[in-house]
This record gives sequence, structure tokens and C-alpha cells, in this order.
Amino acid sequence: MTSRERVLAHLEGRPVDRLPLMPITMMFAAVQTGARYRDYCTDYRVLVEGQIRTAEAFGFDYVNTMSDPAREAADCGAPVEYFESQPVALIEDQALLADKTKLASLKIPDPLGGGRMHNGIKALALFKERVGKDKIIEGWIEGPIAEGADLRGINTLMMDFFDDPPFVHDLFAFVIELELRFAREQLKAGADVIGVGDAAASLVGPDIYHEFVWPYEKKLVDGIHALGGKVRLHICGHTRRILEGMGKLGCDIVDLDSMAPISEARQKMGPHTILLGNLNPVSVLRNGNPADVTAAITECHQQAGTPFIVGAGCEVPRDTPPENLRALCAYAHTHQP
Amino acid sequence: MPDLKELYEAVVSGNAKATQAITQKALADGVDPLKLVNEYMVPAMDEVGRRFEANEYFVPELLISARAMKASLEIIRPILTARGDKPVGRVAIGTVKGDLHDIGKNLVASLLEGGGFEVIDLGVNVSPEKFIETVNSRQANIIAMSALLTTTMPSMKTTIDALKQAGVRDKVKVLIGGAPITQKYADEIGADGYSENAVGAVALAKKAVAAA
Repeated sequence: MTSRERVLAHLEGRPVDRLPLMPITMMFAAVQTGARYRDYCTDYRVLVEGQIRTAEAFGFDYVNTMSDPAREAADCGAPVEYFESQPVALIEDQALLADKTKLASLKIPDPLGGGRMHNGIKALALFKERVGKDKIIEGWIEGPIAEGADLRGINTLMMDFFDDPPFVHDLFAFVIELELRFAREQLKAGADVIGVGDAAASLVGPDIYHEFVWPYEKKLVDGIHALGGKVRLHICGHTRRILEGMGKLGCDIVDLDSMAPISEARQKMGPHTILLGNLNPVSVLRNGNPADVTAAITECHQQAGTPFIVGAGCEVPRDTPPENLRALCAYAHTHQP
Repeated sequence: MPDLKELYEAVVSGNAKATQAITQKALADGVDPLKLVNEYMVPAMDEVGRRFEANEYFVPELLISARAMKASLEIIRPILTARGDKPVGRVAIGTVKGDLHDIGKNLVASLLEGGGFEVIDLGVNVSPEKFIETVNSRQANIIAMSALLTTTMPSMKTTIDALKQAGVRDKVKVLIGGAPITQKYADEIGADGYSENAVGAVALAKKAVAAA
């Protein structure tokens, strides 16, 4: 089976030859070509080269365009900081929507308008050209609370849930429209799967998640499906309290961080959701040795049951020893779901 | 005279307007400001911290409680300073150079303030020089550093080395925390303490000033 055939079959519940392998790499991928991370974030050709080199060296079944959380926000006009060796980041004390009233006049930027989103889309088109026959191509968008936090300032947004609930709803509705437009262009350019990153969702409790976040995540998932794409949801951090809600979104793949017990996720999400993860990327993948990694991913697979995709709990850290990542990949290469 | 238990409740429920009003009234009625801090606000923030660790409160609840506490402290602090009252300790806290993540740092800063510490919040992307300057100019006796990324963690070692170079390492206790940090890393770089959670950070800080 090609990687592409393997993942598509697994997504459709058909038999596969071995476990699919889809760990998230960002800075690690840049290291494979010696590229500056700043260039990985801003030049789609550097990103594509890094991802392909990594996928081929380690036997991944996919490539992805995630480099940092600030593409959409930068195109909206939010001040961002570019680092030499770190992801592009939002400058919170200059948040675009520090003044709430600005939301009313904020226009959704054109994903093909020559900005950072457009750069991401060019990466997808180049992926399709170079590896589209063999690998699954994964694009990326920010989820409602993540993007909302990027535009409003995360500390302020956290208090907006109490101070101004209608504003939060308006903000998240704006974000969904922005992200679905971005997702549509990504799918047109060649993405098969859209990754949805909604990290800040792990900072709120189940009440706020259900009232404010879940309805908009659901709109995103339904929208991407209607456009013909598959959805991989990734919420970094402690998601134990919101696993049931995450399971009800209808995502094709739910990618869990190491703090969420994957056995509980299986219990709460049922037998059809594909789970991905979730060994600790720092204490095990980076700081451990190959035997530790093998033991951890074996345990994850056992706890997760089927269907399952191999990956770490979050991004593979930049200085992960290659032999540790090879141990993770070897598990996928030698095991059935 | 207001029922001071309401001050405790107002902090725990995150009602800043109420904490302000009750504090003003209590002070006008002659209540000792230190009593308001030690008997109502510190226990209230202890309770908020407990609820956070027990997954009853999350980041939004903790931030609005901290805001309510700060609204009261803003009224009380000038009075305490004017009469020469010293805080439990003076903490310079910041996210290290290269890192812009601050939610965790903000939670720790709020709980430290609620625990009776004077907190000098240096913000994010804080250079070693800025930490050193706070020791020299503001007599900080605790340095608390946060990092979220494995790629910015090394700035913690750089800062500790810079403190040694500047001859002020023995004037401060250095506490570190953040998602990729471990006790092992803290020991490796010569930090005085590591906590994996915000409530633990306050306990560490209290131990640090007691030992000094």
C-alpha cells in the first residue's frame, strides 16, 4: 500500500497493512534541511522541503503545513513577531482586538491575497505536485478559541467569557467564517485532511467549553466535511475534562496530548473515532531512549485500541534524538491496527 | 461595618466591584488593612488555588478571582507601604527570553500576590539583564522564571549563569516552572526549586523566604 492508500483506507474503516504514522513535526522538520525556522515559517518552499525530507527519512505517511499559529492573525493585521529559530508569535500587548469595537469593522482577509495564508496554500500545491500520489497532504487552521485568543489577547479573552459573552460569540462566529474560507482554499489546493489546532480549549473548564467553544468547533468540522475534507483535531494540553465533547464533534482523527488518558478517550469517544498519540513529547520522546519510546507507544496503542494512528502527544521537539523518533516510527511500521 | 466574609466570597467568586466596595468601606470603618489581607484575601486565594488544582476552577475563574483580589490590593497597598509594612517576599517573575507565553506565569504571579508577596511582573521575553536589574534596583529576593518551549528553556540556565556573573546569585532564590521543565532540569542548571503547578510554586516561594 502507498502511504496515501493506507491512510485513506484507515479513515474509511477498511483494512490496512500496518498502522498509519502521522507525528507532528515543525522545528524538527526544519532541522532536517538545516533551514532557519524563520524561513520555514515564511517561505513555503523551505517548509515543503523540510516536511518531505522528514517524511521520507522517517517513513511518515503524510506531510503537513503547520508552522506556527499566526498565519490567519497576521493576515488580519495583528502585530506578530518573527524569531530566527522559533515559531512566529502574536504580540499580546498589541492584540488586534484589544478594543472590542474593532471586531465590527474587521474584514476577513482573502486567503489568496499574497499573505501568510496564501503562503500556506502554495505549500499545499507544491506538496500535491511533489508527493501527492504517495502521501496524505494535511493543511492546518486555527480553531475558534485559539484564533479568538490570537486576535483578542488570550488573557483578556479568558475573562471575556464572564465579562461579555455576546462578544465572545460574535468573535468566534467571525473566526469560523475566516477559517472555513481558509480551509476551502486549502482543500482546493490539494489538502486531503485539515488539521484544526484549538490549544486554548484545554485552558477552560467543561462548562465554558460546552457553551462557547464546542458549538463553533462543530460548525468548523461540519463545514470542512461539507467541503469534502477530513478533520484532524488537535488540542494541546489537559483535555481530560472535555473528551466527551471532543468525541461528539464528528472529527475523523482526534489527536491527544499526553495529559489526557487515551483509554478514557476511547471510552468517551466510542469505537469509530480514530485516536492519535499520545506519548509525552518531552519526557519520553526527547529525554528518553529508544526503548522508553517503544514501551510508551506500545502502551498508548494498547490503551487506545483500534482505530489508532501513531504520533506523539504534541510536536516532536526540535532536538529529539533521531533514534528516538525512529523507534516511534518502527512501531507503526511493524504493527497492525 | 461590612461583613468581611463577603470580601472572601467576592474574591473567590471573582467580583471585583464588590471587593473594591467592601475594602473601601472596611478601611473607612477603621479595619486594619493587614487583617483584610491576612484573614480574608490570602485564605480566599488559597481556596482559589485549591479549586484550580482540583479542576473545579480553570484559567478564566482564576483570572477573574485574581482581578478581584488585585482591585482590593490596589487600595490597600499604598497604606501598607506608607506605614512601612514589608511583604512576605519580593518576587521578580517573567517568561524567559525568546518566549511569549504567559498564562502560566500570570497564574503563578496572581497566586503569589494573593499569598502576600510583592510581585514584580516583568512580562514576557525577559532578558537575564532585566532579572538582574530587578535584584539590584527593587531588592527582589526571589526570581521566578517560566518557559513553555523546549527551545527557550536554555534561557533559564543563561539567566542563572548571568546572576552568578553579576555577583547576585546568592542574594536570590531561583524558582522555575513550565510545561517542558522537570526537577531534573532544575537540578542540572542550579535552580533552587521547581514546581509543576501554580499552587506548588507559592508553597516553594514561602519555603524559600522562610529559609533565608
